[in-house]
Amino acid sequence: MVRRRRPVAFTRSGDLVEVRLGDEERDLVSNLAGQFHSLLTEGPGPDQRRLYPTAYPDDPVRNADYADLVHDDLLRSRLEAADVVTATVGNDTLEPDELEQWMVVLNSLRLILGTRLDISEADEFDPEAPDGAERSLLLWLGMLLEEAVEASLGFLP
Amino acid sequence: MTGTAMPDIDERLAEDVGEDVHTARPWIVLVWNDPINLMSYVAFVFRKLFGYSRQKADKLMLDVHHKGRAVVSSGTREKAEMDVFRLHEHGLWATMQQDD
Repeated sequence: MVRRRRPVAFTRSGDLVEVRLGDEERDLVSNLAGQFHSLLTEGPGPDQRRLYPTAYPDDPVRNADYADLVHDDLLRSRLEAADVVTATVGNDTLEPDELEQWMVVLNSLRLILGTRLDISEADEFDPEAPDGAERSLLLWLGMLLEEAVEASLGFLP
Repeated sequence: MTGTAMPDIDERLAEDVGEDVHTARPWIVLVWNDPINLMSYVAFVFRKLFGYSRQKADKLMLDVHHKGRAVVSSGTREKAEMDVFRLHEHGLWATMQQDD
């Protein structure tokens, strides 16, 4: 199948990252960042399980202490990331630390969606499947994240 | 330990010493394979959080992918817990345990 190659979404340009996303893609990112923010503030549900993992699998007491200690920080840093994405979704360039916040949001959305879909590594993508739309979204988020990682590597020491 | 003059401090010292003995075995931080996280993202997080070279980060990521898990850092319980927290903040499936 011949497909027109879409431009790479994130490209490093000096100290900044150039963003090449269409209006519809930006609307979708904005919408998802808003949904992510709402979901987080509603409190933890089963599809957020991967956002708050177990630190001490063999020690429930220590694990409960850990969860109490970090829960608010994990929540706050993700809400901040969602806010940064919402504030910068229309930008043509991002600062490297803004792109990192985008990555937090893209990856968190993938964790939520992947948990909802209960995906496994062996899964093959079938756009006709009943959950095909959500699987397409998961792949699209993965593609954006992949390109964000690629653009960010240049900023590492 | 002997001495009765300052039981509180003695008790605390005893506790500290006990903790030291207990933590003589280092804690290790494990990252587990999962079907959602992207390989490139996982390697990127290792480089960003721990300052590892591309080679080391890629090797650890491939260990996670093929062997199901990899030890990505170790140290005191406090250090291990901070590393686990930072990995969790980045969406990785990390746990910690005392090295046997």
